[in-house]
Amino acid sequence: MFAIEALSLSKQFGHLQALSHVDFTVSEGETFGFLGPNGAGKTTTIRILTGITTPTEGTARIFGKDIVRETIAARKQIGIVHETSNIYTDLTAWQNLMFTAELYHVGKAEREKRGTELLELFGLSERRDDHTKGFSKGMKRRLTLAMGLINNPRLLFLDEPTSGLDVQSNLIIRDVIRDLNEQGVTVFLTTHNIEEANLACDRVAIINRGRIAAIDSPERLKKTIQSVQSVEVAFDAPQPVLVEDLEQIPTVSEVIKQGDKFRLITEDPPTVIDGVMAFAAARRARVISITTLGPSLEDVFIRLTGLDIRTKGVKTVD
Amino acid sequence: MELSAAWAIAKKDILIYYLKPNIIVSGALFPLFMFLAFAVGRPEAPSVMIPGLIAITILFSASSIEPVSIPIERRMKTFDRLISAPISLHAVVFGESMSGFLYSLGIAFVPLIAGIVLFGTPILHIAPLVLGLILTSFCFATMGTLFAAYPTESPGDIMSMLNLVRLPLIFVSGVFIPLNQIPAVGRFITYLSPLTYGNDLIQAAYAGTTSFSPLVDIAMLLIFILLFQFAANLLYRKFNE
Repeated sequence: MFAIEALSLSKQFGHLQALSHVDFTVSEGETFGFLGPNGAGKTTTIRILTGITTPTEGTARIFGKDIVRETIAARKQIGIVHETSNIYTDLTAWQNLMFTAELYHVGKAEREKRGTELLELFGLSERRDDHTKGFSKGMKRRLTLAMGLINNPRLLFLDEPTSGLDVQSNLIIRDVIRDLNEQGVTVFLTTHNIEEANLACDRVAIINRGRIAAIDSPERLKKTIQSVQSVEVAFDAPQPVLVEDLEQIPTVSEVIKQGDKFRLITEDPPTVIDGVMAFAAARRARVISITTLGPSLEDVFIRLTGLDIRTKGVKTVD
Repeated sequence: MELSAAWAIAKKDILIYYLKPNIIVSGALFPLFMFLAFAVGRPEAPSVMIPGLIAITILFSASSIEPVSIPIERRMKTFDRLISAPISLHAVVFGESMSGFLYSLGIAFVPLIAGIVLFGTPILHIAPLVLGLILTSFCFATMGTLFAAYPTESPGDIMSMLNLVRLPLIFVSGVFIPLNQIPAVGRFITYLSPLTYGNDLIQAAYAGTTSFSPLVDIAMLLIFILLFQFAANLLYRKFNE
């Protein structure tokens, strides 16, 4: 049985077609990334999958339960971590957890046991009885995640879980996601952090303008755009090195300055390396570091959303 | 299951909102000042004035919690927790209304006790008083939840709309002007006001007589509660889209 089945989901708001025949499935135990630029339809998809809004066309099932006709049965299986840390700041951490547990029909003994475990897991035990108004952004985010797990869900929706967090909270949350996955919990992750999706997800879907542009594993997606290889180089030069100068090197299609380094996009890295060494010698500059890079998931994302190019071998949906 | 989740929502509102300054002002102080503005200097005995004070206290206090709490929760995105939980929208509406209901019951005891202690106002019949307090409080709490369905993040937007309804109700429902003195033109509106029936039922406890039968008052209040509950359910569903 699939954890999620989205079957030709469409959603129209007046004249705006927010989603257009979105199809995908997520297997039980899978970590599935859902990527897309702002306004692509990510939030609308989550709102449909969690039963907050109904699709104009199509159906969605959560562990076989139709989210429109069997909303409550479907929702009992899921935990939701919303994009905003939507906790009650006038309540304590413990009261927030217990309230959420009551909404999810978790019995008293079970919710108290689970609440204690989750506060421990997220490093919030010492702040259990403090009002959350004074919590840091990271603490609020960790509590939001704990609230999403209070009912021991089989499927967890995570909307931008680590956006703008401190290092400690980031690490805790990433560890928890990995542990959940090992325990067989299905994770549906939306994020702007493409590297996070690359590291955490078994498969990712890229949505653009309400349509699924591609669905595959991160590595397979990257292989589809081998033309986007690059050489990353840093110089120690007596004169400043300009982007325009590096663009003159043969086979370089684009130069991106990244801090003290330059990224030279090319289809032919060996030729570019030769060109860089010749350029350095002519300028009496030293090459401090030079690395060849394959395409990143971000490159795939930019290709599919920004440039709107369909690539061979990717399961695309028109 | 649904009831326990509704009760959890009510408890959450009690903990968070009962002592918010804007709720104390609009739910407790505003009806008192409204009453003083219209009642001071009038020749009626306390036994005539106290039921009216109780009725308008309930009208304002019961309908004051959700128009403040729900827009705030929309802004804080905590309302998404309620509408994505494994409970029906009816349970959400019921739970939200329950907090207004309990708040109103508590506030209504102030004029009730003041009537007894300060003026020695006798209560002739307990049953209509108890039913009047419960049904009128729940009716206006549900009305507050209905108005709060309007999709705004500002409590002021809802309070403005609500006052457009609440203030005229005071004058057409027999609180200050007896029903038999209201012109025939306004009588039609009188019958459409739930405050008419709540006030009438509470009057029965103090005066022993009513403009309608207590059974009519009870039936009409129940009809309004159901009407508001179902309308609120429909509007929350529509605006969540």
